[in-house]
Amino acid sequence: MDEKTKNKSIKYILSHGLVKPQTARERIAEMLRIIGFRFIFWDTGYSLFFTAVTLAVVLMLFSFAPDDYRYSASIAVAPLFFLLITMFAETSERVCGLYELKQTCYYTIQQVTALRVICYSVVGFVYTAVITIISTESGYEFFSLFPLCLFALFFCAILSISFMRFLHGKWVYAVFSAVWVVVNTVIPFLLRDKWETILREMPTAFSVVLAILGGAILAYQVSKMLSEVKKYAIT
Amino acid sequence: MLSLNNVTKKYGNFTALEDINLEFSSGIYALLAPNGAGKTTLIKMLTTLIFPTKGEILWNGDEIFGLDASYRDIIGYLPQDFGYYGNHSPREFLLYMSALKCIARDKAKQKADELIELVGLSDVRDKKMKKFSGGMIQRVGIAQAMLNDPKILILDEPTAGLDPKERVRFRNLISSLSKDRIVILSTHIVSDIETIASRVVMIKNHRLFTNDTPASICQTLMGKVYETDDITSVNSPYLVLTEHQENGKTITRFVSETNCSDVARSVSPNLEDVFLYIYRDETM
Repeated sequence: MDEKTKNKSIKYILSHGLVKPQTARERIAEMLRIIGFRFIFWDTGYSLFFTAVTLAVVLMLFSFAPDDYRYSASIAVAPLFFLLITMFAETSERVCGLYELKQTCYYTIQQVTALRVICYSVVGFVYTAVITIISTESGYEFFSLFPLCLFALFFCAILSISFMRFLHGKWVYAVFSAVWVVVNTVIPFLLRDKWETILREMPTAFSVVLAILGGAILAYQVSKMLSEVKKYAIT
Repeated sequence: MLSLNNVTKKYGNFTALEDINLEFSSGIYALLAPNGAGKTTLIKMLTTLIFPTKGEILWNGDEIFGLDASYRDIIGYLPQDFGYYGNHSPREFLLYMSALKCIARDKAKQKADELIELVGLSDVRDKKMKKFSGGMIQRVGIAQAMLNDPKILILDEPTAGLDPKERVRFRNLISSLSKDRIVILSTHIVSDIETIASRVVMIKNHRLFTNDTPASICQTLMGKVYETDDITSVNSPYLVLTEHQENGKTITRFVSETNCSDVARSVSPNLEDVFLYIYRDETM
């Protein structure tokens, strides 16, 4: 190792080694303090409006779903709030003229999006609970279906973040949302009652483990997204 | 100091920039080249929007991509196509950008007001930007780039689409902001930088052609630029630079490697002459 490389390494160790890295929780608290809710959701009003309109239509259709397909319909609909708001908000972010500029700021779009994902997931959790309450008639049914719906929500959130981190196309969210809807429409048609039976007969404990696992992976993904060094900026 | 060491950027088989070596310290650096020469590619690498295929970009000896947020914290950037939210006022927009630049709210309010005054938009600071002219939008753009008091200010074609009056105003503004910082300004309009640039960086055939002071660059054509009202009398090979009308006659400004002082008047070369001469084979 030559002298120049050695000095460079010492300088690097001193500058990085003495600074305690921020935890994800500290990072979130700092971002919320500096950016604030107003700016996290700045200019996402249109996205919320379109999400509300689309959800209203979907929920109307959902109310007509036959009782025999309540589980499969609920699981298809549970992550929709999350999918729609992510699709509208993030697609508009990527096509707007400020994308490039924002990627040169201290907080990148990915990091702001990670904060949004946390908020969307919380609202999505409430929405999922409401969908489950509407779809079930007893407490037992609720506790059987809710973890499945929650897993569907976390699964979608995990995939969204993965797409965000590794695929950088402008329309990636729109494609993913469309795929979710198509897959959840096609599966019940292909498998008929089998899919509904599989979901209904899934042990509650297993569903709960799936939901907890999904939540843990999502939390890990969000923390990675908040702290990782920018690996790309523009597509 | 910001330095580029053997930086190459390729897009598939196409080489946008090859083996660029540059060093920037305080002052205004003009990236002067025709469209498509690689100016924007270079700027995007300096702003961490794209990564070099080969080579390294260092800020005070550290790789800028490794520095991540701490490097982004010291740069201010005005892109070529500056998008903005038309429904918001300059003040709201600057506060939003301040938040993304990790500036505390109280400080951001103070800084936004200062910059709005500096760029001459105090009268319209709470008006929606959708009614603004191109020049006003560019001034909002420069204000947002200055929010974090950047050590490196990078402006990509900042005067494109501005009328002459706005361009002069913008030039003066950039000049006033250049104290104790690196200003990197890309342009293909020579008059934008002729009077304010401390160094001019020229790129030709995707490689660094020159990096020197405007005076030294002009010196390369000293004794080779002439003017005449009768170009037909020039027998040696020449390249026409510009033509203009004077007292009813067409005055031709040209460059010739051989002495033409017997048929034409020798004049001092300017940066535009050098630009036209260097890029004579390229479509602009």
